[in-house]
Amino acid sequence: MISPQKVPVSILTGFLGSGKTTLLNRILTEEHGKRIAVIENEYGEVGIDQALVIDADEEIFEMSNGCICCTVRGDLIRVLSNLMKRRDKFDYVLVETTGLADPGPVAQTFFMDDEIRDEYALDGIVTLVDAAHIEQQLGRSDESTEQIAFADVLVLNKTDLVDDEVLDRLETRLREMNRMAKVVRSERAEVPVDTVLNLEAFDLDDVLERRPTFLEPEYPFEWTGVFTLDAGRYELSLADGPDPEMSLVVVPDQGTDDAALREGAEWCVRRYAETAEDLGPGEEVPVGKHVNLELDSTGRKSFFLEVGRQTRVGLFTQHTADEFDIQLRNADGETIAHEVERTWVAQHEHDDEVGSIAIEHEGDVDPDRLNMWLGELLRERGVDIFRMKGFISLAGESRRFVFQGVHMLFDGQPDREWGDDPRHNQLVFIGRNLDEQDMRQGFNACLV
Amino acid sequence: MSGLNVGNPSGVIRDGWSASVGDYAIAGGWILRGDALVIGDSAGSVYAFDGKSGANRWTDHEVHEGGLLAVAIHPGGTAFATAGQDGRALIWRAAEGQASQSIDVGNSWVENLAWSPDGRWLAVSCSRQVYVYTVDGTEVWRSDAHPSTVSAIAWSGAEELATACYGRVTFFDASTGEPHQKLEWQGSLVSMVLSPDGGIVACGSQDNSVHFWRRDTGKDSMMSGYPGKPSALAFDGTGTLLATGGGETVTVWSFRGQGPEGTRPGVLEYHVQPITTLSFAPGALWLASGGRDGAVVAWSLQHDGEGRSIGSGYLADVVSDVYWRPDGGALAALDAQGGVTVWRVKNW
Repeated sequence: MISPQKVPVSILTGFLGSGKTTLLNRILTEEHGKRIAVIENEYGEVGIDQALVIDADEEIFEMSNGCICCTVRGDLIRVLSNLMKRRDKFDYVLVETTGLADPGPVAQTFFMDDEIRDEYALDGIVTLVDAAHIEQQLGRSDESTEQIAFADVLVLNKTDLVDDEVLDRLETRLREMNRMAKVVRSERAEVPVDTVLNLEAFDLDDVLERRPTFLEPEYPFEWTGVFTLDAGRYELSLADGPDPEMSLVVVPDQGTDDAALREGAEWCVRRYAETAEDLGPGEEVPVGKHVNLELDSTGRKSFFLEVGRQTRVGLFTQHTADEFDIQLRNADGETIAHEVERTWVAQHEHDDEVGSIAIEHEGDVDPDRLNMWLGELLRERGVDIFRMKGFISLAGESRRFVFQGVHMLFDGQPDREWGDDPRHNQLVFIGRNLDEQDMRQGFNACLV
Repeated sequence: MSGLNVGNPSGVIRDGWSASVGDYAIAGGWILRGDALVIGDSAGSVYAFDGKSGANRWTDHEVHEGGLLAVAIHPGGTAFATAGQDGRALIWRAAEGQASQSIDVGNSWVENLAWSPDGRWLAVSCSRQVYVYTVDGTEVWRSDAHPSTVSAIAWSGAEELATACYGRVTFFDASTGEPHQKLEWQGSLVSMVLSPDGGIVACGSQDNSVHFWRRDTGKDSMMSGYPGKPSALAFDGTGTLLATGGGETVTVWSFRGQGPEGTRPGVLEYHVQPITTLSFAPGALWLASGGRDGAVVAWSLQHDGEGRSIGSGYLADVVSDVYWRPDGGALAALDAQGGVTVWRVKNW
């Protein structure tokens, strides 16, 4: 007699001072029509009467087998087991963790305990980030890193305390660590309540809708411009930019439609893998070779490009054209406009140990091979895999197989019919020091 | 509300009466030597029903704000205690339905209550501490903070109280509160039961095992392999059989001879959802089990732990608890919709 509707639970994490209590009060004020139970682990200042506020000591229960994945929050099991006896009276449960909490045991509680799993659904983990202090915190503690890695929503709070450039850098870094999470900015935790509650966070469709570039491959270049050129000599002129050097590949016979651009990009990735030839100002840029333009002198710098016949060339540059005011001029000094341009999701330096791996592939997967691969992956690397979710096209199954997991705990079931949608697979892993290439190969070997 | 789909008693379980309380029926027990049944619900209300007819004798609405969590009947049957999320424990006169004492225990939930076997003391747990009071509500002692919230309490004799929490069972002197003995094991102990002579303590653990200790030797054993956490445990009156939940089957360990180590337990199969409660009939090897499937089953057991079902009845929702009448002639069962059902038990 399992209740037909599970009560959604959101977990609010974040360091002391990141704004958890402010957000909590905000939610309670805006959701005043609903009965919300709040489980607090720090004596906060929840000042809303209608919510049932339960103070519980954060009790981390490790099991005798020593497995970190079996570690649960004992206080939550006790409190939630009792609350479910009045479940008709609660619409939502919010759990506020202490600043130094590892979100793992909280999330695992919703997988590990049968009774809790039957009655409650973990809606999402919301992590508040103090924009002014997170960079120091990330350097100093594993907890803050894990709070970011586990999040479904990252609220970049106190944005009024830092300038835009810092915020952009911070957001990039957070996204790099956790590509699964939605990032929202706020000053005093003033975010629309629907960005943090009722996420059904494990619905990957929603994630994809939010950020269509989510699973886009990363490239070692950020910009491409395609130019139609007659035979002749051309000058490539660059102004001072953010870097003293920049990589470039000139692709011959470049098409202008999206497919052709992607094809060019893939070709360029292989060129970029080759060692770049250094070129000083005034030197000739060879076509189809990976070169590195030396830009450390001040003022505009010129390089030259020799074209033997009328053709379209694609310039694939490490930085965007804007950053260096890149101009292509003919022998008469006239600037040639590009026919098309596009930007790419740039590869970033992975300076954090924690990162995200996204795998996207068409086709069907063999269930047995997938089981073997995932089983082995989770056995060997489960401790370092914080979260995973996605969907899989299993051979012989008419429905999508959706899954999610925390550490070694894995939970999956078929959801909707594929119908006319193209069958494909999307998997996201967030973890520490994950070997992307190894995981991709492992997954590819599961394909039918 | 309830009383609807209740029924189809079979075997030794015979028609009786049913009634209902306002919310999830949490706990209760027989008072006045089986003359009446007292029930507390998750709205914090307390009800008394006539044992024979099921007529409501009295109701006290929402006495525990936030919800009631525990009920314990005084061994004499003329008093009982209730506890709740309001941080209070109340001591009631059973006949009148009057709370004679109100004890403000702490700021947290008061989750466990237990009367000493001689009825002199009431033990209460609240958060990480355990407290002992006299029948008139005077505090005798309180413990230091345990390593985690106290999950279960039980008297190992008239002079000694046992507590369970994460990683530890502790025995306290009943009159002074001095700890006598600590049995440690790294695991979250969610339930505890003691053999009637207090010599064996068994705990269900969050990691789906039952851990027990023989106190004379300090030797401990672990029974693992349960599909769920064994939150329901019961010892029979002779201390021979330990019945355990932790899944859809009832697993019965026999302490005869060298057992239960190295022996095969009795496995009782009937329920289709996990066991929620187990209770031995007074003075017999009859066991009642209740489950999430709403079934209540009576079992006749042998000394080796094997057994067969001898009767069953159904409630409208998850069975929250079962109570044998002190003379064994009736069985009361509570459910999650607030149903209260009493069946007569044949051949007693």
